[in-house]
Amino acid sequence: MSFDKDKQRRDIERFIQKMPSLSTTVGKVMEICSRTDASPNELNKVISLDPVLTGQVLKLINSAYYSLVTKITSLTRAITMLGMNTVKNMALSTAIIRTVAGAKKSKVLPTSRFWAHTIGAGVSAKMLASIKDVPVVEREELFVAGLLHDLGKIPFGDEYIEVLKIAKNEQLPLIEVEREIMGIDHQEVGLMIAEKWKLNEVITTCISRHHDVNGLEGNLAKQVGFVALGNIYTNILDIGSAGNSFPDEGEILLLLEVLDISLEDFGHIGASVQEEIRKAEIFLQI
Amino acid sequence: MKIRFWGVRGSIPCPGPKTQKYGGNSACIELRVGKEERLIIVDAGSGIRELGTFLLSNDLPKGPIDTSIFLSHTHWDHIMGFPYFTPIYIPGTRLKVFGPVTFEDDPLEDVVGGQMKYRYFPVNMGELTSDIEYIRLKEDPSIDMGNGLKVATKLLNHPITALGYRFEHEGKKVCTCYDTEPFRNLFITDPEHPDYDEAMAYEGEEVAKEQNMVIEEFYAGADLLIHDSQYTAAEYKNGRVGWGHSTFEHVIESANRVKVKRLALFHHDPDRTDDQIDAMAKDYCEPGKYGDTEVFFAREGDVINV
Repeated sequence: MSFDKDKQRRDIERFIQKMPSLSTTVGKVMEICSRTDASPNELNKVISLDPVLTGQVLKLINSAYYSLVTKITSLTRAITMLGMNTVKNMALSTAIIRTVAGAKKSKVLPTSRFWAHTIGAGVSAKMLASIKDVPVVEREELFVAGLLHDLGKIPFGDEYIEVLKIAKNEQLPLIEVEREIMGIDHQEVGLMIAEKWKLNEVITTCISRHHDVNGLEGNLAKQVGFVALGNIYTNILDIGSAGNSFPDEGEILLLLEVLDISLEDFGHIGASVQEEIRKAEIFLQI
Repeated sequence: MKIRFWGVRGSIPCPGPKTQKYGGNSACIELRVGKEERLIIVDAGSGIRELGTFLLSNDLPKGPIDTSIFLSHTHWDHIMGFPYFTPIYIPGTRLKVFGPVTFEDDPLEDVVGGQMKYRYFPVNMGELTSDIEYIRLKEDPSIDMGNGLKVATKLLNHPITALGYRFEHEGKKVCTCYDTEPFRNLFITDPEHPDYDEAMAYEGEEVAKEQNMVIEEFYAGADLLIHDSQYTAAEYKNGRVGWGHSTFEHVIESANRVKVKRLALFHHDPDRTDDQIDAMAKDYCEPGKYGDTEVFFAREGDVINV
């Protein structure tokens, strides 16, 4: 079976054109979070410019995760009581999930399963990076990159059901079936969105090359490698789903080699990943 | 309740001739509750090693050791003694480890047990034959520990999530409040600063005040309060703001204000010598000088009955 590939491409381009741009808040939160010298005033101001985000962060703080006896009703209070870092991390994850969830189109990939998968990939990428002693700030960026790596699947329409079905029945890597049937794959679509949203180089490359690490060099190869491996890891553990149940096995060995991670260490992050995911899942309840 | 100090130092153990009197081990407190002398341990700093040895001769002959350790937080000086706590190697020991973890940090089991990896220590966590359960704690006004013992927890102000504990039994209250620094206004208060925001500055001030009051209420009327007092007010002002520790001046004033009966100054700076502590005691611990609260410097081996 094959679809009209030109029409597919046109539909996707039109969808991306209509997608909202990444809100300035999210961009600014990302910027503040990557700086170690940001002041409490700056953080407070950036989040509070967006009342919805403010509400979500406060809701998260008041969720069962902390179960504080005093209800936290303002960002100033949150920063005073829990500190800058905690509030930063909460704001960042919340802002990104909200933006992408808002753009979600098709019912092909159920939202909660899709997010469970991307959170799993982000968490796994972060955990793998911690084995290799990657600095904390870079690890957070990998978490975000993992959250966003499948961004390119969002614009696919109902035709995507057929693609998923073929990948499943014939036990093929999803990306190959996308190329074969639709003439465009989720990395390419993801790149289009990343460019529209002006995401930074690391995140953009993770989105556009997570199935295609070969040819990348230096630190960027490693960063994309962590996300690629995190992605595979969640597929193996069967956490959530973004439709790819049969990843390429050769790819795993290649990535482990690029990242210099032993098969044993790779297997060992399991329990921590599950726990991290459980924690991160509270973002989905907002 | 009966309390014995096995470690009273902050930051790092500091054995030597200058710390012999007050002791050089990092935080560990033994609490015995009720007639049956039920054992509760607060923190697993280097002092827990000798407590472990004591338990082998004092408790083990009566039956397997069954106890709970409450960790104030997971900074290293408060967990470093754990691998040297002999009861964890004895089959039959039942141990519950309670403690907070910081947002997005690893589970408690990994943070505490993570010290027991071959790269740090010759025994791996998985090789232990005792029964150890890890329980993550949050802020909680009342945890029922059975046999009339109630525990309350309070979020403190430290760079990672740290909890204060209040143990209540038969009308008596013993509180721990470390590591912590009074909450303070983190926001810019200089109206000339380009990022100054009047509302933020005001609210930051109010929240800090209010949270300090909440902590005071937490230990109000305690029969014994064991409180972080690593610095003098002068030392604190000189580059130690934000490190998460309190001053003698603040603690003594606060304990008197809320009618704490006895205050143990705790988490001594590793550089503080016995002579310096003795000299400070003349001032800070003089009966009636700052109020009715009886103030003393916690000393390794001291036993307090409440």
